[in-house]
This record gives sequence, structure tokens and C-alpha cells, in this order.
Amino acid sequence: MDRNDKRIRILIGKPGLDGHDRGAKYVAQILRDAGFEVIYTGIRRTPEQIVEAAIQEDVSAIGLSLLSGAHKFLFKRVIDLLKEKGASDIQVFGGGTIPPDDIPMLKQMGVCAVFTPGTPGRVIVQTLKEHLQVPA
Amino acid sequence: MNNELSNLIHQARSGDIRAASRLMSRMVDEPQRLVELFSETDDCPQPRLVLGITGAPGSGKSTLTDRIAGEYRNRYPDRKLGIIAVDPSSPFTGGAVLGDRVRMMRHSTDPMIFIRSLASRGHLGGLALGARAVVHVMGLIGCEVILVETVGVGQSEVEVASRCDLTLVVLAPGQGDSIQMLKAGLMEAGNLFVINKADRDGADQLYQSLVSVLQLKPKNEIRSAGYCTDVVPELENVFLVSAFEGRNIDRLVDAIELYTHQHHEQWKAHRQRQVQEEVREALLEEVRRRVLKVMGVNGRSEARIDRILRGETGVAELASELMKEAAGMTEKGDL
Repeated sequence: MDRNDKRIRILIGKPGLDGHDRGAKYVAQILRDAGFEVIYTGIRRTPEQIVEAAIQEDVSAIGLSLLSGAHKFLFKRVIDLLKEKGASDIQVFGGGTIPPDDIPMLKQMGVCAVFTPGTPGRVIVQTLKEHLQVPA
Repeated sequence: MNNELSNLIHQARSGDIRAASRLMSRMVDEPQRLVELFSETDDCPQPRLVLGITGAPGSGKSTLTDRIAGEYRNRYPDRKLGIIAVDPSSPFTGGAVLGDRVRMMRHSTDPMIFIRSLASRGHLGGLALGARAVVHVMGLIGCEVILVETVGVGQSEVEVASRCDLTLVVLAPGQGDSIQMLKAGLMEAGNLFVINKADRDGADQLYQSLVSVLQLKPKNEIRSAGYCTDVVPELENVFLVSAFEGRNIDRLVDAIELYTHQHHEQWKAHRQRQVQEEVREALLEEVRRRVLKVMGVNGRSEARIDRILRGETGVAELASELMKEAAGMTEKGDL
């Protein structure tokens, strides 16, 4: 690796009140291993904190991990805040216990990808690389 | 001067946070452009204090940084503050997990605090190559105090001392006895020392042994081996704190403020000298990139190295050849 190659930056955060961060940490690690710079923000964050951090860190995407069932509200809030701040070019993806029936609704809202439990790491990396237009 | 860069600088100066953060990315991706940033903004405000915070992994640097930031914000509600937190990049994949923010999230929605995480990207001094540029951009957007947290360092990553006005070395109990403190390197780079984790066993003993080690040095020689030779610790310079509990943070910040008050003018001169060094580094970075590019084109690197191994050419000879080719490159980087 050339030490100063441009690196794609991704924020991984857990909005809402559930504290189960295994999935978020797993994704942070596989993205790190795929060469991304991952800003990990920890558990129980508000959408406001996450969006502010994403802007200051100049990330290309935000990954939200949720197991609380509040995905509809929290994804929408993050996407609305991004719009408000003129940062809609930051992509949003998600993972966690999200019922398959809700996925079309989330995609309609502007979520670019949803990874439910059991998704292999390479699928996550591949999908994100396509969305972020990273040369293979 | 590149137009896009010029626009970003202009927007950042007028308070556009998004532009400032993009400008930081540009400077981190292409640190050799620091010179353009400097020349375009030599009239811009610069921070009053750039405080380096360094220490071993897990000594509590991020938590302490969070506490110091909180204390400053309480004292000066109308002043902006910047935080730069560096974590290591993987030498294998180039990826990184930047986790310092986890300890600082309560400041995340504070419009007066700008936090930027940087990956070291193979740079070995404890900082990242673009860190200086990020400090400069934070100055542009009006940050008066900037806290620079290094990667978890070992004994010899002391670059932070030359890049910051004042350097704080964080130690925690369980990391070695007074012999460790006699060793060269990190301990010479500090202006202030913090024994963190005062809530744990062994912190008092560590405090005592550090104080006695520092007393071994004649007062006027303390720190003369470090970079910031102009800070003489006539004041208290060892602090026993608990960042976790928030204990003694106010006394530490009192001391930092006193040092700032006393040495601010000297620091300005030091920064001026520092610019020379940074421009020199930017130049070397440009040379390094060009030579790497010339070496790497069409897999010729291996072929060239084979020539050396076969004895067909010498290292010096090949180096001259590479540099000649690199010199012919245009600014865009093509041959």
C-alpha cells in the first residue's frame, strides 16, 4: 500500500437505545480489513450526534446498526438531517434485526443497502464498494 | 493554485463546516499541498494553543482529551475548540478503525467543537502526515485551542513535541517503574506529565517516582533535550488525575493556561520556524511520490531491482536514473 492513497471513510454507529454492538464491531472490522477507514462512534447515539460526526469526519457513508425495532424512525431521522445539512451525498446503509418486509420501505426512504444477520462479510464489502464506486 | 482548493479554503474561512472537513480530507490525501494552503491563508487567524497529548495505548488519552475539552468549554463558552485524534492504520491492508471519538461523543453536537479522526497511514512519528494541515484548517474556522491526540506511542514516537506548542505525556499505573522514566525518548518530549487513573492502585507510587526522577535533573536543564526548549517548568508540571472520574482536571487546565499565558509569544516564533520544516517535508513528499510513481510504472520496479541484484547497475546509478525520470514528470503526475 502506498501510505497516502486516498482512503474511503465510513462511519459506523448505533443510534437508539439497544446496546448490542457485536454486529457493529464485526462490520467495522471487516471494513477495516477491506482497506476502509472506519470511524466507530459506539452505542446509544442520537441521529444528531451521528450526522454531525459524519460531516466533521467527511465520510462517504454512514452504517447504522439497530436491533431495537426503531429502524423506521431512526433511519428517517438520519436521512432527513443529512438533507437539512446539505449532505445528502453521504450514503446510508444499515444492518441488524430488520424484518425483510421493512426493507423496501427503507430503500424507498433512501437507505442504499440493508444487511440482515448472516450476511457474509464479503457481500457487505462488495455491495458497499459498488455503491461507493470504489475501483475493484 | 488549484481552483477547487482555493474555493474550499474560501468557503471554510466563511464558516462552512462541510467545506472545512473536505479541505481537511484533501490535505490528508495530498499532504504535499500544505504549501498551497499556507500561502493562500497566511493572514488567517491561528490558534492560541496547540496542545499535544501523547502516551501509551490505553493510558487514557482520549478520555483525558474529552475532559480537557469539557473544562475549556465550561470556562470559555464562546470559544471554539478543535480536537484531532490519530489512530493507527493497518500496515497490511491500509484500513483503520478510528475509535477515539467514542470517548468524546458528548461533544459531538456542540457547534463550538470540531473533532477530526485521522489514520496514521503508515507515518511513524505518532501523528499522521496531514495532521499539521488539519491544525491549520481548524485555525481557519476559528478554533482557539486545538488538542492533538497521538496514536498510542511506545518509547520513541516524539514527533508531537515538535508539532505542538505544549506536550502532555500521559502515564498510567502498571506500565513500568522509575527505570522506564530514565530512558530517552518519550519522557524527554513532555512539558507536562499526567499520571492518569488516580482511581486505581499504584497511581500514587507512580506519581512519587516520576516526581523524584524529574528532580534528578537540574532545573534549568529539564526539557532542554526535548524540542520545546523554551518552556522551563518553573511551575508544577506533574499532575495526578483521574480522567474517568474527572478528578483534578481543573488544576491541570489551570497549569496549561498559565503556560499558554507565559509562553504564547515564544510559541509564535517557534511555529514560524516550524513552517520551514513543514515546507521541507511537503517537498520531500512530492519527490517521494514522483519517484514511487516512476518506479512503479508497468511493473518496471521488479525489473530494475533485478538489475541491481544481477550486478548490472549500482544503487546510486539507478537512483540517479529514477530521479531524472521523476524530474520530467508534469504536475499532474503523468510521465
